[in-house]
Amino acid sequence: MAASRDDFIIAIRSAFLKKSTKQKFSLLTLLSISIFVIVLSSLDFRIIKYLKVGINEIVYRSSFIVSIPENLIKNAFIQTSEYTTFFNRYKKNIIELENLKSNYVSNEIIQFENKELKELINDYALSSDKILAKIIVDHDSPFLKSIIINKGSKDKIKIGTNIYDQSYLVGRVIEVNYKTSRVLLLSDLNSNVPVTIAPQNIQAIVTGSGSDYGQIKYIQSGLSDTLVDDSIVYTSGTGAIFKSGVPIGKLQSFSGGSINEYKVEFYSDFTQLKYVFAEVITKTEIIKPEEKIAENNDETNNPLNVKLKILEDELKIIEETNRKFQEENEILKNEINDLNFKVSNLNNQILSQKKTINQFDIDNQELDFLKLNLKHGHKCRRTFLNTDGFIVGTLEYKSCVLSKGANDG
Amino acid sequence: MMVSLRTKSSFLKLYSWLPILALYISVLNEFDLNYLNLEYFSFNFPFILIFFFTLKDFKHFDYFLVFIAGLFNDTVVGLPLGISSLSYLLICIAAAYIRNITIRPNPVKDWFYFLFIISLINSLNYTVLTLFFSFDLILMSYLVNVFFTFTFYIIFVSIFKYYMRGLND
Repeated sequence: MAASRDDFIIAIRSAFLKKSTKQKFSLLTLLSISIFVIVLSSLDFRIIKYLKVGINEIVYRSSFIVSIPENLIKNAFIQTSEYTTFFNRYKKNIIELENLKSNYVSNEIIQFENKELKELINDYALSSDKILAKIIVDHDSPFLKSIIINKGSKDKIKIGTNIYDQSYLVGRVIEVNYKTSRVLLLSDLNSNVPVTIAPQNIQAIVTGSGSDYGQIKYIQSGLSDTLVDDSIVYTSGTGAIFKSGVPIGKLQSFSGGSINEYKVEFYSDFTQLKYVFAEVITKTEIIKPEEKIAENNDETNNPLNVKLKILEDELKIIEETNRKFQEENEILKNEINDLNFKVSNLNNQILSQKKTINQFDIDNQELDFLKLNLKHGHKCRRTFLNTDGFIVGTLEYKSCVLSKGANDG
Repeated sequence: MMVSLRTKSSFLKLYSWLPILALYISVLNEFDLNYLNLEYFSFNFPFILIFFFTLKDFKHFDYFLVFIAGLFNDTVVGLPLGISSLSYLLICIAAAYIRNITIRPNPVKDWFYFLFIISLINSLNYTVLTLFFSFDLILMSYLVNVFFTFTFYIIFVSIFKYYMRGLND
């Protein structure tokens, strides 16, 4: 018994401590170092962080080069399988494209409205640039779902930067190096995204499943009954980790025991990603007019100076207003004089016209009388034979001529 | 004649360093045929390689290089630094131990011993990552990984033996 225990101890000691001629370190030393490294990596020291960034840069590039042959095989395999379904997918794509075109215009309008409303709510405007990034390492590990992209802090990528495939959310950056970054995919078990499910407008959390779909979690009890197939899942923006309104996938039901359960079928196929977009967001505060005035006033710190400045400004304004009033007054006076002159002229004109009209009337009457006198004057004139007539020039004679010789006498 | 000898010597040198080269390529490349889209399918080639060549006490299989390979693997996969190094070194220790206590080697015994070791190491891995680093991991993936690594061991061992024979010749 004692001999067997001795053998065990000798074998263990030999395994841990014995160095063959080629070995530089014993296993015990290396084991201690690796435990030390694990402890250090769990602590957030700046030196460790920089060391890690350095290692990451080298290893990611090396991994990209080493992966080239396998990627070639992988791409050949994918392309072959794609060719077999090429025609069917082409026909399907044409129909989809037509539908999408019709939706595009209304979508643009909604986006514009949405942007305006957000600006109103948040008091700041977000401008974003989408940077195209190449995936340099995409090892579909069974344990962790992540990818490495060729953009880093040099390109203003930060931890939490949203990553897109076209307009679909893919994941977010969890580790940033100088020229590379690691992106945690939505399918990873450690990924949690606050979402809204439309059209039911239900809030939930989508977590990765470690496979190619997501799981709906933390949904209010009772609301899960209202879920239906093909409901759209998009980011709600809660927690400000992900931008709101970004499509993720659609709901698909599957039977999980006695009740119907739902999984999220992602729009993007994470195994086929070659390029992605990293959204670098810049925040600009919207300054209101009142705030602007306040800001200007803050520039002068002394309250007396401020008062004096205000009074000076007021005086200037009053003087300016007075001057304007005087000028206006002068102009108005001149205008009145002109108008009066015009009125008097017009009155004169009216008077002269009246006179002319009167004269014209008189002349007309005279003319009529003379015409009638020629015709009927002999009937009214007192003559030897006509004793009932009147003396020429009298009013009676005139009225007799005007009444065409009818002697009313 | 001289040139031919030199070429032969450099080829032999490269040939003798092939296991380490394969280890580095596998950790950097994560070669596991995952694009076949088989549910949970994965196997750990470095485990097989390290176990076999440590068991055979292969002279060009430096533990320090194995340790560095572990660090590379952690970086590529995104695990905390040192986790894979620890796993690889534990395999080395286990293989060195079995080599020391074995008088008459038996491939089947080695095979099952390998199963025991990788199960133990994966359990340790899972525990450390879950408890100390708050990772969410799928246990089923680990179990499937252990199963396929164990299954493929015997296939790769026959390839490695063929390689060793080529080196001895």
